[in-house]
Amino acid sequence: MPYALRKVFHGLLLILGVTLISFILMVWFGPDQTYTLIGKNATAEQIEEVRRQLGYDQPFWQRYANYLTELFTLNLGASQSSGEQVTAILKRTLPVTLALMIPGFLLGNLLGISLGLTAARHKGRRIDQLISGLSVTGMSISFLVIIIFLQVFLSTPYGLNLFPVRGWQVTDPASYLKYVTVPTLSLIFVTLGYNTRFYRAVFIEESSKDHIRTARAYGASRTVLLWKHVLKNSMVPVITRFMFSIPLVVISGSLLIESYFGIPGVGKLTFDAITSGDQPVLKALVGLTAVAFVAIQILTDFFYKLVDPRIG
Amino acid sequence: MSSSRQLWTQLRGDKAGMTGLIIVLFFLLLAVGVWAGVLGQDWSVANGGRWESPGAEFWFGTNLLGQDVFQRSIFSVRTAFEIGIVVAVLSTVVGAILGALAGWYSNTWVDGIVLWLMGVLDSIPFYLFVAAVAYALQGKGWAMQLAMIATFWTTTGRLVRAEVMKIKSREFILSARAIGLPDPIILTRHVLPNTTHILLVQTSIAFVAAIKTEVILSFLGLGVHDGVSWGLMLAESTQEVLAGHFANFLAASLMLFTLVIGFNLLTDALQDAFDPKQAAL
Repeated sequence: MPYALRKVFHGLLLILGVTLISFILMVWFGPDQTYTLIGKNATAEQIEEVRRQLGYDQPFWQRYANYLTELFTLNLGASQSSGEQVTAILKRTLPVTLALMIPGFLLGNLLGISLGLTAARHKGRRIDQLISGLSVTGMSISFLVIIIFLQVFLSTPYGLNLFPVRGWQVTDPASYLKYVTVPTLSLIFVTLGYNTRFYRAVFIEESSKDHIRTARAYGASRTVLLWKHVLKNSMVPVITRFMFSIPLVVISGSLLIESYFGIPGVGKLTFDAITSGDQPVLKALVGLTAVAFVAIQILTDFFYKLVDPRIG
Repeated sequence: MSSSRQLWTQLRGDKAGMTGLIIVLFFLLLAVGVWAGVLGQDWSVANGGRWESPGAEFWFGTNLLGQDVFQRSIFSVRTAFEIGIVVAVLSTVVGAILGALAGWYSNTWVDGIVLWLMGVLDSIPFYLFVAAVAYALQGKGWAMQLAMIATFWTTTGRLVRAEVMKIKSREFILSARAIGLPDPIILTRHVLPNTTHILLVQTSIAFVAAIKTEVILSFLGLGVHDGVSWGLMLAESTQEVLAGHFANFLAASLMLFTLVIGFNLLTDALQDAFDPKQAAL
């Protein structure tokens, strides 16, 4: 089978898997919604009617097929807490989350790559030991602790008191900067240790290969070695890392950051859906993000082929 | 590296690793103290004033309800170890079994199913998966642990699978097959023991992941419900710090940090001891 077809087929199998698991957890084993939707003193016929609307009388596979149809036609129903259509909520919250998370995500990776490169180039020396030591320290601090610390340090009278404590009143670039800074710094700090350590290992692995030694012996300059040989050949693991951390950082990161700072994005939406048990929102979020992640994986496979023609 | 004595010799020469080991053992001692009913027993007694400052009676001060923050942070060591041990051991066991099966029967339908399962579990964002499991189990106390085990085993599984595929073609395994030993015996007696180095490191990594995850989940309301944990203390502290009360925050975050860095240093040292080539890089 050609590479592209094989990857898409593999992706489809994964999509079936993730939707099946989210269906089993959220819908099949999920709590009975009948009495949430029905008023007091309902008659047996009314209960029967609601159960039929919810599809509770249908067999497992039929309901799974319905769930898949709902996901792929984006017919996700309305939130139980606000009554708003889930698609409308997503349209409103997604841009906020992207605006909030993208700067920290990019900076965390760029800084990680630069620190990893610095450490790798001075492997075993003082500067490498310092960077590696700081990475382990960074990895050992909880995300929640970093957020609380930065909030106290930057946004309260107990610290520098420079930024708003929480919220998201963004109207222009200036207010954007004001509200995005503390969350961005939190995200950078929580990912930097892991990123640096990972990129350092990748660059060290790549620079210790035979062809680098040969190139050096032939008198290639440091810059050529770095850009042409080390960085270019490290692209596959770097891209993997970058792409695979998107769902982790965007979903898990925004869940914590937005619920902590009260920012109205997808993360806050998820948090509220978790606390209130809002099934339509939760099952849409779990299903859609899992499908999106599989799509990212397929995309990554195509990137591999772009940077390394041997793959396939 | 086969014998534990060699491992110990390696480890003893590693200053950072020994520091890590001592930290971990110290916390284990605290946990045993709590289990034995000697330490941290008054964690839920509210006999102080609201937010008292640290002093002779309350070493780390008190919280909103007048409970002793020191007692609470010590009792939380036990919570951390209970979650860490259960998750680390079970996720490693599941990873070892499924990884070994996939590696032994590589390129068959068994391998296909295990690989597919790993791919699927890795594709669902973790906190959403926990939320889904908690939702399905409706407030069962072990939803958090179950979700962690169900997702943490995949890394161990992949590593064990790769290692078993390597071991499978080695001569002693070929001989074992040649003399007609049944597969289950070869797997449990000859293959799995040769993956101990992976399992040990992975257990340590899973322990750290579990206690760090507990903090986030407890803050989100998906974690510990009964008792006290560093996550619950930090969740409490999110309101207090804005009013200038830092006892909960400092106690929980410093304890958590120390235990996690202890484990991280120990993990690094174990990895280096098992793989001197990698360490030299």
